[in-house]
Amino acid sequence: MSTKIELSLSRPNRIYRPSEPLEGKIVVKSASSISHYGIRIALNGSVTLQVRGGSAGVIESLYGVLKPITILNRIIEIKPSGKFVSGTTEIPFSITLRNPKEEDSERFYETFHGTDISIQYLATVEIMRGYLHKSLSATVEFIVESDKADLLNQPVSPEMVIFYITQDTQRHPILPELKSGGFRITGRISTQCPMLEPLGGELTVEASALPICSIDIHLLRVESILLGERIITETSLVQTTQIADGDIFRNMTVPIYVILPRLLTCPTVLAGPFSIEFKVAIVISFQSELSRLHPKSDPLTPRLWMAMETLPLELVRTR
Amino acid sequence: MEFRPRNYVAEEQSHALPRSRADIHPLSSPSPQPILRQVDDSAENRTTEEFFDPLRAPDSNPSVEVVDENDFERSSNGIDDSVQVQTKEWTSFKRLLMQRFPVSKMISVSSMSNTIVRSGKAHEKSSSSTHLEELDDSQKSSEESAKVITRQEYVSRLHELKDEINRAWHNEDRVKSLKLSIKVARLLMDTSVLNFYPTLFVLVTDVLDMLGEMVWERIRQKAEFAEDGARFCSLRAENFGASDVPADAKETCYNWFCKVGTIRELLPRIYLELAIFPCWRFLIEQPAESLQRLVTMTRGLADPLASAYCRLYIAHRAQKLLSHETGHLITCVNDIKLIFTRMSSTKETARGGFDDSKRPLVSLMEPSVEFIMKSIFNDASPRRVGRVLVDLGIWRSQEELFCGSPCVSIVLHHLLKELPTDIVCFHALDILQLINCSNDNSYDQYLNYRLVGLRLSEQMSQIATVDAIVNEVIQVVSEYGLDEYLKVVDAYLDIILQNQMDGHLKTILECILKMASDKVLAEDELASLQSILVKLLSHFKDLEHVFSLNHFLQILDMMHGSSRSIVNMHILDMATRNGYVHDPTTIQLLFEISQALHSDTDLVNMKNDDNQQQARLISRFVRMVDHGAAYERHLEFLAECRGAFGSIIELKEILVHSSNCLATKALKDGQNHTGFVKSCIGFSEVTIPSISGHIKQLNLYLETAEVALLGGLVSHSDGLIDSAINCLQSSDLVEGSRTVDSDGILSSIRKLCSLLIMVPGNPEVGILHIPKSILSIIQSRSWSPRLRARLLCAIISLSATLSQERLPYHVDQPEIMGNDLLFFGDSSYVHELLSLMESVLPNLVDIIEQESSRAARGSMSLEACNCIASSFKINEHVLPICSKLIETAKSCLNANDKYLTSTISFLDKNLHAATVPSSITI
Repeated sequence: MSTKIELSLSRPNRIYRPSEPLEGKIVVKSASSISHYGIRIALNGSVTLQVRGGSAGVIESLYGVLKPITILNRIIEIKPSGKFVSGTTEIPFSITLRNPKEEDSERFYETFHGTDISIQYLATVEIMRGYLHKSLSATVEFIVESDKADLLNQPVSPEMVIFYITQDTQRHPILPELKSGGFRITGRISTQCPMLEPLGGELTVEASALPICSIDIHLLRVESILLGERIITETSLVQTTQIADGDIFRNMTVPIYVILPRLLTCPTVLAGPFSIEFKVAIVISFQSELSRLHPKSDPLTPRLWMAMETLPLELVRTR
Repeated sequence: MEFRPRNYVAEEQSHALPRSRADIHPLSSPSPQPILRQVDDSAENRTTEEFFDPLRAPDSNPSVEVVDENDFERSSNGIDDSVQVQTKEWTSFKRLLMQRFPVSKMISVSSMSNTIVRSGKAHEKSSSSTHLEELDDSQKSSEESAKVITRQEYVSRLHELKDEINRAWHNEDRVKSLKLSIKVARLLMDTSVLNFYPTLFVLVTDVLDMLGEMVWERIRQKAEFAEDGARFCSLRAENFGASDVPADAKETCYNWFCKVGTIRELLPRIYLELAIFPCWRFLIEQPAESLQRLVTMTRGLADPLASAYCRLYIAHRAQKLLSHETGHLITCVNDIKLIFTRMSSTKETARGGFDDSKRPLVSLMEPSVEFIMKSIFNDASPRRVGRVLVDLGIWRSQEELFCGSPCVSIVLHHLLKELPTDIVCFHALDILQLINCSNDNSYDQYLNYRLVGLRLSEQMSQIATVDAIVNEVIQVVSEYGLDEYLKVVDAYLDIILQNQMDGHLKTILECILKMASDKVLAEDELASLQSILVKLLSHFKDLEHVFSLNHFLQILDMMHGSSRSIVNMHILDMATRNGYVHDPTTIQLLFEISQALHSDTDLVNMKNDDNQQQARLISRFVRMVDHGAAYERHLEFLAECRGAFGSIIELKEILVHSSNCLATKALKDGQNHTGFVKSCIGFSEVTIPSISGHIKQLNLYLETAEVALLGGLVSHSDGLIDSAINCLQSSDLVEGSRTVDSDGILSSIRKLCSLLIMVPGNPEVGILHIPKSILSIIQSRSWSPRLRARLLCAIISLSATLSQERLPYHVDQPEIMGNDLLFFGDSSYVHELLSLMESVLPNLVDIIEQESSRAARGSMSLEACNCIASSFKINEHVLPICSKLIETAKSCLNANDKYLTSTISFLDKNLHAATVPSSITI
């Protein structure tokens, strides 16, 4: 039986803050006793930037992956060389994430997995066994959230923006009967939203010439990467939430209530080399024969039978 | 051997107990209580209303009261109880929901339901699939064309899915459980097969409830136990707050809400959140507030059916919070009202009614209104009821009350059903006004009028303005057709009767007659008429009073079928309940009613339990008829009955009894009725053979023989006794295979023996002709030793009695002499008796020996011994037999047996002092 090694973190959700120690234990399961030359844990945090598609040109996309930005890169000796007895051995550890000596270290961005930008933190344990044996290792991802101390003190303003969507606010061509018959959908939505709270608001269909098929709230992320002198921006869909299914009553207010998906969102980041921002789009699809012909359309592409309004959304981490 | 002489007069005096007068009949009971009726307006109950069995009355009473108490005390009872009650209510609600809407066998499954059609493999997605892929999935499926599967397949597929979800959960694959549950919830987006939707709803919510339960348990465990299994806190289900929940459990819980929140489609997202809704209690202190959000989210579902059932599910899941909050429910009702209003106003007719094509949809949505309304008024305090009425827009305010604006009638119906009775009674006029202006065809207006009537009848004493109410209703219904008219009037009849509004009653009966006279009544109309007539019958104590009501009999004549039978049964029941029926007209009427009932009853199934009641009622009527001194007329009546109700066996017995009774009455009258008595006996004699059952016949023959004897008709009685003996003889031959009713035979033969004491012996055929034929029957039968021994004892007693110089009783006819006078001093007579006994006694001993059971043998010996000791002088002939019997008894019984010791002392006492005094000792 081979020797197995496992890295288990103290928190089941694996969320840690930079000022907190990363705690856990290394579990070694071995049939026979083995000797080693030391156990170390490597902590690695980086921003991976990748350019593909989007507003990037053909040439840029050839560059492919840009050089990642390192946030954290430390190797900590947990144990000097020694020996494991056979059976299961557990070695607890505790590592402070933010090195107090390195004052001007990179900012600990929150974990994020996007299309072009990915912010990831990994802990890797390695047991050195000399030249004759392959060293044993295991890796886990841990999730970093901002320190409470760094967060905004004041509560997020509950202010909402009022929007109205009519045939005249549309920047794309719409069906002639929509254009002539008209429609008016009004509502309000918050544009600054704490991570742990639902995105709220409400919406009312005041009038519509065509029956409504569906009203959806799209949560979009906008990832921008500085490439040379250019900023390459890509907007992608994170989540769609339907708030009206079918031709709902006029003048009856329906709530907008969107729970932000974890990991796929993070507080809005505006760093030098990259930025992660969010937008919210309210999309109204009208019932139309045409829509049946394009059932699989990308929800973000403006279509003749759709009306939409896109608003910026700032995500913030609050205490 | 020598018979023991007896002095019956002296013996009676010495053994008689002192008697004293009793004022109260020991078996009399207090007068029956009036029966409370519970309002139940559902169509099924109306049509299946059955004949009311008075014996069931006390049963239904307490159950009504118990429910009331529960309502009253629920708040103080343990929470567990109310949870149980809710669970039970929901279960029965679900069952009714599935039964209520018939579904055709085949279901076309639209696009969405690939979960159902694609068997088994629908969900092999790896758990890492992103939300975008999920999105694709649902869109892909919508391209598939509609398929048709059977309802059964659909249902069993859902059961499979439920099992699969359960299995995945217990295999720690909770993500899979959730994903499958979402697919199941998506099925509810398809409302294309309207009538299947309620069933689908039940099946799907079953799955979701199960998931919700599992999630709740998991988080509760996480909250109560640390990872290593140590318990670190205890959350009592009733009262913990979010602040008691550890952060870790909260985290998990929030994760669930996040996962559910990522569902794209609105409907499954709402359903899934509702499934895990109780878990909000782990996160926030006032979870009820989220209900309001879910209710408003439901407004986003444009499909009226889907949104109505979604609201139903909200009401159901909200119960889990055990809060008395009703705000969300009221919003639900108001939203549903809006849907109905829009449904009736858009495109359809200008008159603002519901198109008939919308009616099925309305009735499909009805259960939702019903359940939500019930939840709102579930143990509501009077103050809250007022607030609810204001919130629902029925009252303008708590002070101004009714605002006079119409309400959607189906909503109004369920509101009226749930409103506390006192409010209905107090505001009845306003409510009628409200019904009047709420005529939108979503529910039949007349049914609302009817409902108010039924609700008012619950507490008639509290109605404030009876006259105005009834006037209003009578005016409204006067424009209705017969069916509606009957249904509404039926509901108000109790009020009308209770308040003695004879004028209204007259009008109603006239109207019914006028409307019904030229048509064949339909099933529904018959049911209502039945209810109306039965109410009239039970209101008036006196049947003649009911008959004298204008048109009552004419209306009864128009009815047919089982409804008429039921009314007829009520009439008969009423007629015979209060003693004999004397009035000839009434008798004739009741006879006709009985005839109608008899001909309406299925003769083929006469043995059927249902029909036994009819037979019993007719029989009772015949028994209770009393023509007084018109004996001839009464006998004629009996003959008519025999002709008319030939198929009722029970009745024929009664006819024989009645005719015998009639003969006896005539005899007691003292005048010369010999001819009439003969006709009565002839009637009985002719009737008896058509009765099946030889023992029954035997008893009736004996009874008739006794009457004949009483009438001085010795030859008649001889003939009847012969017939009785013949019956006895043929009894075993016919009924041989069945187990013999030995007690019946025993008592019949004993009865015969006691009758024989009065019958003068006939020297032509031999004075002991009859006892001898009985003996030969005893001998020829394979009856049990016990029966045979007892019969022999009866013969012994008979012989001993016949030997007396003065018989204990005689026929009450001076011209008939008893054997004591006929054979006075005739030694050959006594001799013949004794010689018969000489063969009987050994036979008796032999038979006792044949008994296999020891205990039975013992008691039989003692019985025989007692019989012998009281019949004979104990002398050297008899003593050995007695001793033998005592020995047998001793060998079989405990020496301390009381029967044994008392028998021995009896023997001792009777032993002649001279003869061997100490021969028998213990």
